Amino acid sequence: MRLVGSAITIAVLILGFAAIAQQTGPGGTRTPAETPPPPTPGSPPAAGSQPQVDESALRYFASQGDTRRVNAEIARLRALYPNWTPPSDLSQLSAGAAAAPDPIVERLWNLYREDRIAEVRAAIAERQASDPNWKPPEELVTALETVEARRRLINASDTGQWRTVLSVATESPNLLTCMNVDVLWRVAEAFARTDQPTRTRDVYTYILTNCSNPGERLATLQKALTLLPEPQVADLLQFERKTGETPDDFGSIRDELARRRVERASLDSKTIASAEDLAVVERLIRNTNEAGPVLILGWYNFHHGNPARALELFKTAIDRNGGTKAAEGYAMSLRALNRLAEAEAFAYEWRERAPENMKIYLDVATALLSQDPPPRLEPQVVARIVPVVMAQRFSDGAQALGWYAYNTEQIRTARDWFRTALTWKADDEPSAYGLALSTQRLNERAAFNAVVAQWRNRSQRIADLADGVVPATARQPLAPRTLASTPVETAPTLVQPRSTPRPMAVERVEVEQPLPRTEQAVRRRQSEARSALGRSCAMTQNPNRLSGDSALTRGWCLMEINRPLEAVAAFDQAMATGSSRVREEAAYGKSLAYLRKNLTSQAAIAAAEAPQTRARQVELGASILTQRALAAYRDKRYVETLLALSERARLVPEQNDLLLIRGWSYYNLGQYADAEKVFRAVQRTGYSEEASAGLNAIREAVSPVN
Amino acid sequence: MRARLPQSARFLPWLVSALLLWTGSMAASQTLSVQPLRVIGSLPATDWEAYRFRFVEDNGRVVDTANGQISHSEGQGYGLLLALAAADRRSFEQIWNFTFTELLIRDDGLAAWKWDPNGKPRVTDRNNATDGDILIAYALAKAGSAWQEPRYTKAAQNLARAIGKSTFARSGRSLVLLPGAQGFGSGERPDGPVVNLSYWVFEAFPVLAALAPEYEWDRVWRDGVLLLQQATSGRIRLPADWISLENGLQPKPADGFPPEFGYNSLRIPLYLLRAGMTDLEWLRALKQRWSAESEGVAVVNVVTGQVRERLNDRGYGILPAALACALEGTPVPAPLRAFEPGHYYPSTLHLLAKSLLGEKYPQCV
Repeated sequence: MRLVGSAITIAVLILGFAAIAQQTGPGGTRTPAETPPPPTPGSPPAAGSQPQVDESALRYFASQGDTRRVNAEIARLRALYPNWTPPSDLSQLSAGAAAAPDPIVERLWNLYREDRIAEVRAAIAERQASDPNWKPPEELVTALETVEARRRLINASDTGQWRTVLSVATESPNLLTCMNVDVLWRVAEAFARTDQPTRTRDVYTYILTNCSNPGERLATLQKALTLLPEPQVADLLQFERKTGETPDDFGSIRDELARRRVERASLDSKTIASAEDLAVVERLIRNTNEAGPVLILGWYNFHHGNPARALELFKTAIDRNGGTKAAEGYAMSLRALNRLAEAEAFAYEWRERAPENMKIYLDVATALLSQDPPPRLEPQVVARIVPVVMAQRFSDGAQALGWYAYNTEQIRTARDWFRTALTWKADDEPSAYGLALSTQRLNERAAFNAVVAQWRNRSQRIADLADGVVPATARQPLAPRTLASTPVETAPTLVQPRSTPRPMAVERVEVEQPLPRTEQAVRRRQSEARSALGRSCAMTQNPNRLSGDSALTRGWCLMEINRPLEAVAAFDQAMATGSSRVREEAAYGKSLAYLRKNLTSQAAIAAAEAPQTRARQVELGASILTQRALAAYRDKRYVETLLALSERARLVPEQNDLLLIRGWSYYNLGQYADAEKVFRAVQRTGYSEEASAGLNAIREAVSPVN
Repeated sequence: MRARLPQSARFLPWLVSALLLWTGSMAASQTLSVQPLRVIGSLPATDWEAYRFRFVEDNGRVVDTANGQISHSEGQGYGLLLALAAADRRSFEQIWNFTFTELLIRDDGLAAWKWDPNGKPRVTDRNNATDGDILIAYALAKAGSAWQEPRYTKAAQNLARAIGKSTFARSGRSLVLLPGAQGFGSGERPDGPVVNLSYWVFEAFPVLAALAPEYEWDRVWRDGVLLLQQATSGRIRLPADWISLENGLQPKPADGFPPEFGYNSLRIPLYLLRAGMTDLEWLRALKQRWSAESEGVAVVNVVTGQVRERLNDRGYGILPAALACALEGTPVPAPLRAFEPGHYYPSTLHLLAKSLLGEKYPQCV
């Protein structure tokens, strides 16, 4: 990077920082004597009190004794630079003007003043072609080169060609003056974009030390805010001019720095903002109608133990159109104040607006259900929670519904909810415990034994239940284990087969229970089956005698009473004898039947037996791949898990529970960086205990605690 | 298919760097080399004035009138070359000024290819187009020596070095010219490297080689000729504009481009004639196809041979006439000798052909 290296050296020399020049070491072939050649050679070297004005045309006209044009040019420059005064040595120049003005040169200067640079160049070339001895005036050549360099520099910076910006600046030190603050800003940015922030700071320091336009000085700090780390911006504030004709007011920069400090502290309960900084944000809230500073102070109060004040602030933020963030804060504050019923009602209204709002709704609803003792909830409240939990496949919500049902003596419903929770989150010990309790209460020995067999090594309380240490018949004074108190495991190790939750009666109100996605169609079929055959399909019969349509109906009927393997036989018969529509339906049903038995490969084969609609292909494909991933994960075949998940992710978005499986798979393969990315992604969708557990595990794995 | 190459002499390598080529379809061997053009003074001032008036703005911008009034590095390069051909130093300087300040801004020293007066920034695609870079560098180099202007020569040298550094790429045993510094290489496209044979401005190669001898211009030129012969050895005998070299010596139309001998490739015979490479057998086949009795100048599907579009503008019509003149001494029909500006591209081809005929084949015009 020879180019940039020399650019630094020279730019630094140009900027006149002896101290910095020492750091850059040897290599600067130009001497500091070449520092900014002020366009006004007679002006005092301490520039800054006056804008540096391009007087080259003026000087030319004066040297030609052209008073009319001198006066016109003076008028033009005064209009452009109100503080500018004409140089005092013009009369000397005109006195020396002996020769008559060269009309061509005059025309060139006029073109130059009109910014018709290409035409100036063309006219010079034309003149030289006819008169090889003719030379344009030195000042004009310099002026042209400067304008061209500025154009190239600006064009390069507009298209992100930062090395060109630096090399042009190096070759055209004329440009780097207070007259071209825009150019200096672009050079500063070029240094920043080529990872030389110290040089960026040097350029800003140069501007603040030498240039006098207060608007440009303030804008320099605003640029610095976007390109430099905040401590360096704070350092630059020392150049604020408090006296003089046009003193600076960098107050807005100080406010912004304070605002940023409070913003950082607002997200981290361990960081305390200073009283001064908090006062700045309070003032910003008073002086504007923006929601931004209100939100910052809201989150600051929320994370620093003052949810009541946070609630007020978030209310204000909502009134100021603070949107989903404000609503999230409001709901979280209500929850922190334990005003759960209000929180649920409020969050419900906002749940579809953004993922964070959905997250807080699920969180609040879960907390509402999980209160101890179990609250008496309005039926419509539970009725609206259920479909959201189902649609979001939110395992903690399913678990909470399980406990709510259990504690209101709806044991079958509770059992189904615990099963559902385990389907979505295989390592959920509290749900497994709930399932064990429910099956014990229902006296379902086989189911109870299955849970115990899977969990007794990992859960003391499930083992105790099996060993009869704790009687399960009495109503459990359960403090349901909600998300926050779930034991942190290093890795989920078991996945339970999926189950079908049943409708839950809440306060005698039948809640219509949406089913997991893959089963929705079955449920629709079930009502048809019911009307056609009633429960008669429970009678074993040979499906071979049935017609295609009847076999299909019988298949769905058997699915309804959860005899999937017999359903497979019926669907096979339907496929053998039915129309193409029936064959498609039957292949679909057969896939679902196999899925229910966790026979993933067979399901995949069945799905291919008849053409399916795109929607069904996606649905079946995603289900098959989910099961494949979970089965592989269960068997600790992590590479295959990841393959299946990736294939699935091409069909449908990956939800959080599968993302976690993905994260743990990476973890178990020792790909900690990938695992960390995944867990962080999950965490970004909202707080997740499981993701935190993953991140902790990675931290431990990467740097074992002493 | 291999080329056997005689050792070139140490001096004047381009004049004697003769090349013997065998292709599968050709029994005859050919000797090829670049015959340099003087360029300057080859174009009548009236033709150039008409062109300049229509296509060149006062700020030196060459405007593509059929393409949303945009400008591009190719147009600037053609503008420079034609201004030089007309010995118009004023316009040359003007066009160069725009090219230098508006397009030559890339970090790698190549020109940004696309400039749109309505864009913000006006460079709306900062990628380079290697043919534009070559044309600009070539025109600068020729102007630098014709007018003894070291500014031009220096700029030509910088650009030649940038071209050699960023656009020459290995493809199997060949060294090819990438159409752009980014996006065409073997690692950058599944079917890469992808090349465009009309980006080989053959006449420029020896000139730029003298300015940047550290790069293998001779070899890129040679491999371009070989590639052209391979790409024209099929049944239809026309190269696609965009060619994938994924399979090394078996070029095929590149993905994502129509498999067509189109507006790009029309220039190839013109470039061959301008470089004096008239011995290439393919030119005879093309002359046949382009003759009035046959299909004429057209955009042709190189797989099926189907004609998609016949091109009737005089700027295209002069191409077969120039071929007939160069190969058989046939005079150019009178209507084609007169230049009337139409759209930017055919007008440009027309003047490039006229400048060639004016310098090398005055007897045909």
